[in-house]
Amino acid sequence: MDSPTTSLDQNLDLSKLSPKDKQELQQFIVNESQKARIQQSVHSLTDVCWKKCVTGSIRSGKLDKSEETCAANCVDRFLDANFTVIKHLEAMRNQ
Amino acid sequence: MENVSNSLGFGAAAADPKAAVMNQVRQEAAMTNARQLIEKVNEHCFDKCVPKPGSSLSSGETTCFTQCMEKYMAAWNVVSRQYIGRIQQENGKSVQDNFWTSDLQDDVEVL
Repeated sequence: MDSPTTSLDQNLDLSKLSPKDKQELQQFIVNESQKARIQQSVHSLTDVCWKKCVTGSIRSGKLDKSEETCAANCVDRFLDANFTVIKHLEAMRNQ
Repeated sequence: MENVSNSLGFGAAAADPKAAVMNQVRQEAAMTNARQLIEKVNEHCFDKCVPKPGSSLSSGETTCFTQCMEKYMAAWNVVSRQYIGRIQQENGKSVQDNFWTSDLQDDVEVL
């Protein structure tokens, strides 16, 4: 695949954009970056929670009710753990 | 791959550079997401479905793969909903904008 940046540079003259368009584009990029970061986290969380929650052999294409509950809990507990670490670090810094 | 880059509307770029950039960004994001998913599905489902690699992929293994893939995507969607729900709750904000809560399916379709 050729580099997208290069093809964009060759084909687009962004200097011709109106200030309004430029601002809209900037906002769009901010939103897309946030979306990409979140998706990245979802990928790594799914990775972690799959290992924890889908332990048996694959018997169907659907998640069992128990696996689904486990996955939802897994996300919540992972974030709890994350917050605990941050809080404790904060406490250590203030000692 | 070739098709994806070609269908980004570079022809229309001169007419509407803003839309062209937005399309390009969307496509690249979807590609990255899909690539990431494929990598993870392969990793986990290979682990589950092919415990002892034989001389070819058996039909049982193939069936396991398709089921495992669907299951992994279901898990992805559950995790995504839960995670996004939680960060919205932590941020104390209402669902201002649903732009990133789309299902995985939407992104996979670009392949």
